[in-house]
Amino acid sequence: MQPKPIFALLLRCCLMLCVSFLIGGGNAAANDFLSDDAYANGETAQVADPIEPVNRAIFTLNDKFYIWVLDPVATGYSKVLPADIRGCIGNFFYNLGEPVRSVNCLLQGRFRDSGLVLSRFALNTICGVFGLADTAAHEFAIPPISATLGETLATWGIGDGFYVVAPLLGPSTVRDLTGTVVDSLAMASYYPWSDDELSPYTLTGVNTVNRTSLHLGEYDQLKSLSFDPYIAFRNGYFQMRSKTRNHSQTK
Amino acid sequence: MWFMILDRRCRRQGTQFFFSGLLVLVVIIFGSFLGQAAAASSPDPTEQFRPFLQKVTDVLADPTLKTVPKKEQSQRVINVVRERFDFREMSKRVLGQHWRSLNTQEQAQFEQLFTELLQYAYVGKIDEYTGQQVEFTQQRIKGDRAEVQTLLVDANKSIPISYILILRGTQWMAYDVVVEGVSLVRNYMEQFKEILLKDGYPGLVKQIENKISQLEQQQKQS
Repeated sequence: MQPKPIFALLLRCCLMLCVSFLIGGGNAAANDFLSDDAYANGETAQVADPIEPVNRAIFTLNDKFYIWVLDPVATGYSKVLPADIRGCIGNFFYNLGEPVRSVNCLLQGRFRDSGLVLSRFALNTICGVFGLADTAAHEFAIPPISATLGETLATWGIGDGFYVVAPLLGPSTVRDLTGTVVDSLAMASYYPWSDDELSPYTLTGVNTVNRTSLHLGEYDQLKSLSFDPYIAFRNGYFQMRSKTRNHSQTK
Repeated sequence: MWFMILDRRCRRQGTQFFFSGLLVLVVIIFGSFLGQAAAASSPDPTEQFRPFLQKVTDVLADPTLKTVPKKEQSQRVINVVRERFDFREMSKRVLGQHWRSLNTQEQAQFEQLFTELLQYAYVGKIDEYTGQQVEFTQQRIKGDRAEVQTLLVDANKSIPISYILILRGTQWMAYDVVVEGVSLVRNYMEQFKEILLKDGYPGLVKQIENKISQLEQQQKQS
C-alpha cells in the first residue's frame, strides 16, 4: 500500500496549485507608489515583529560580523580581483540557481517566466561559458527573473509568520527563511562539487565575499544615514521584497 | 387589441432607449474629447525631468565643484535640486498624520531641517559621481501623480531609481525617490514614527539635529 500517500500528496499539490491560480495576482496594486495609501500610515512592514529584542541582538551580531570579518575580507578580495572578473563570478553562482528559480516559477503558475528562466540557463551555460557571462540579458534581452520558494509559498496562501533576522543571512520572515533554506538545499543537491563535504561551505563563503565585494560601502552608507538602522533595514527589506515580487512590469 | 397596445408601448420604449442611447454616446464622445484635452494640457513628466537631471549631472561633473569647500558643494547641488523637488510635500509625507498636529512655524522648521538632513546625507555622494549616465526607462501617470523610472548606469552596474511626482500647476515636482524599490520617504517615515511615539516632536527635532552635526563631522574628517 505504498503508492497511496504519494498519490494523496500529488493530489494536495494539484489542489494547492489550483488555489494559487485563483488567489494569484491580486497583490500587485497594494504597494503602488502613486496611490496615497502607500504613504498613509507608514506601515510597510505589515508583518509582525514579536521577537524584536532577539532580532535586534542578532542584527547587532550580524553588524559586528560584517564590520570585523566580511567587510575587510571583501575589501582585500576586491583589491586582488578586478570588478569585471568579480562580476563574472557572481554571474556563475547566479546561473547555478536558475533551475530552482524555473521550478518556483512553474509552481507559482508563471509558465512564461519559467520557460524564460530555463532559456536563460541554457543560453548562459552554453554561450556564456558556464554562466560566467549573462549573454541572455545582453544579447537576447531576457533580463534576470526572480522567483523563490518563499514567494511560491506566498502564492499558495501561506502567511509570512513573523519577521526574523537570521544569523549571517539577515532579514527574512519565518516563511521566507524556510524557503531560502529549502531553495539552497535544492541548489546544493545538483551542484557539481556536492560530493565533497567541505567544498559547499567554501564555495558559499566565496559567493558571499564576492557578492559583498560588489557592494562595498553601501551598507555603511545606509547605516550612517539612518536613525535606527534596525528599523531602516527592516523597512528596506520589505520594500525591496515587494518590488522583486511585483512581476507586472516584466510581463 | 392588446397586441396593438403592447406594440405601441414597445415602440415608445424603443425610441426612449434610442434617445438615451444617443445621449450616452454623445456624453462618451464629449468625455473622450475632454479627456484628450486634459491629457494634452498635462505636461509630460519625462520631458520635464530630462533637462533637470541633465542639469544636476552637469553640476556634479563640473570640475570647479570639487575645488570649493564641502558645504558650498552641497549648497550648489541643492540649489539645482530645489527646482524640481518639493521638499514641503516630502516633509509632509515623511511625518504622515503627525504633520497636521504641527503649527505653521513647526512645519516650516521641520521642512528646513529635513531638507538640510538630505543635503548632508547626499553630499557624500558628490565625490562618488564619476560620470554615471541617466537612462530613462519608462513613466506612469495616474491623475496628478506620476512616476519617472530611470537607470543610473555605471561601468559595471546600473541602479534603478524612480522619481515620484505630483503635478503643481503645469510643473511636475518630485516628492519621493525610490532606489532599488526602497522609497526614501517611506523608510524615514517608519523610523520617525518610532521616535515620535517615544519622544514626541521635540525628540525628533533633536535627533535630526544630532544626525546633521554627526554627518557634518564625518565630512570634515574625510
